[in-house]
Amino acid sequence: MIQLFHVTKRFGANIALQDISLRIRRGEFVFISGPSGAGKTTLLRLMFGAERPSEGQILIDGINLNRIRRVKLDMLRRRIGFVFQDFKLLNRKTVFQNVALASEVLGERRSITRKKAHQILRAVGLSSKEQAYPLQLSGGEQQRVAIARAMINNPLILFADEPTGNLDPEITKEIMILFRSINLRGTTVVIATHSRDLLENTDQRIVTLNRGQIVS
Amino acid sequence: MRLWVRYFRYAFANISNNRLVHVVSTGTITITLLLFSAFVLFFANIDNWVLEWGQSLSMSVYLKQGVDEKAKQKIKSVLVGIPGAKLERFVSKEQAMEELKETLGSQAGLLDGLNTNPLPASFEVAFGAPERAGIDIEKIKKKLENMPGVDEVQYSEQWLKRFEGLVSMLRIAGLVVGGLLCVAVLFIITNTIRLAIYSRRDEIEIFKLVGATDWFVKVPFLIEGSLQGVLGAVIALGVLFSTYSLLSSKTIQVFGLPLLHLVFLPKGHVIFIISLGLVLGLMASFIAIGRFFKLFYY
Repeated sequence: MIQLFHVTKRFGANIALQDISLRIRRGEFVFISGPSGAGKTTLLRLMFGAERPSEGQILIDGINLNRIRRVKLDMLRRRIGFVFQDFKLLNRKTVFQNVALASEVLGERRSITRKKAHQILRAVGLSSKEQAYPLQLSGGEQQRVAIARAMINNPLILFADEPTGNLDPEITKEIMILFRSINLRGTTVVIATHSRDLLENTDQRIVTLNRGQIVS
Repeated sequence: MRLWVRYFRYAFANISNNRLVHVVSTGTITITLLLFSAFVLFFANIDNWVLEWGQSLSMSVYLKQGVDEKAKQKIKSVLVGIPGAKLERFVSKEQAMEELKETLGSQAGLLDGLNTNPLPASFEVAFGAPERAGIDIEKIKKKLENMPGVDEVQYSEQWLKRFEGLVSMLRIAGLVVGGLLCVAVLFIITNTIRLAIYSRRDEIEIFKLVGATDWFVKVPFLIEGSLQGVLGAVIALGVLFSTYSLLSSKTIQVFGLPLLHLVFLPKGHVIFIISLGLVLGLMASFIAIGRFFKLFYY
């Protein structure tokens, strides 16, 4: 599903990632771990097509990101979900509108979008908060909205960058259960985190980065 | 079609969600277009006055010495029959001499040495500005000069040409200043809309994140910009018309100069300014939004 071949990323004179080769299979659940500044976010951004590698090749579902055209990249992103630490929700739109947005972008009928948004919000336990605005929700609820938005189009891959960084341990557990259930439905999940608690209690694959290189 | 309904829905929702930003942008567009429209109105009036003065034409038809009454009547009937011409008066030889004496004033004594009156009798004809259009004055001159009893025909050709030169100079100056104003207006509007879009960059980022194409994101912004441009232009014209109505009634009363009557912008200019608002709003949004897309690609 995801293949990186000798990928290096430089920002000016700084080397953010060096000679990364990685293969993540379809339906896998992978943690990318490492201290702050290790290159976790850069790695996710490269796999999402938000950055271009300085060297090396990246293939997502067989598509080479080095050669992809703008419109094709947009199409690919519709099959990838992304969840951020700071949620990235539109505060002037309701929970329902935030989630429906990802379906509207596909040009789907309003009736289909509505149905999908209701279903996914029910799945993340936010049916009763559809008409609320993000700032009226707790951190955990906001992250569940972001996950619902990432999941509405039933993506092949879900990337999450420090998704529990702003949440307390109880809520973190809930969110991780949600990610696990998403993975069980066949979506490849890649989570970047520096949280030791999250990594200690898992039997999933962990890729550890340090100073831009894979160390284990 | 479904997509366009969605674009308009987004645009109106954005306007409703960002009312203050839109009020500020539309206000800026209104002020800049008001300045531009005021310039166009000022220029249109100057152009109108110059044309009115310059094109009101007078013509003198000098008669031969000893022309008989029958020929005189025939010439008169031809002059009256010219479309748009107004026969002002007939100046007899004696009257012409009197007027010359008046013009010379204290030096009128110079004329005492003349045994006979050498001045010819003449008809004076005037053409008003509106009637001037479409009349070939040179052709009329030739036709009259071929008539029995007519000695010479003169009209204010030099005067007319000078005014036409002035009008074309004014037009060039108007185009240059108008063009510069247009660029300034585009610059101001672009920057205003750029600030408005900058305040919503997170929105653009999220749209791109979920795989929206550039046009899916851009079109609602372009619709918003166009609506702001049209609304700004309509408000600007409304303010200008109110000011014009107030001034046009007072100017004549206060100065008592009927020649300086004000005219409002012709329909074509009004449509032009509204279209300009639309195009400027559209272009400004297009320019302003373009740079934000660089953030979401490599």
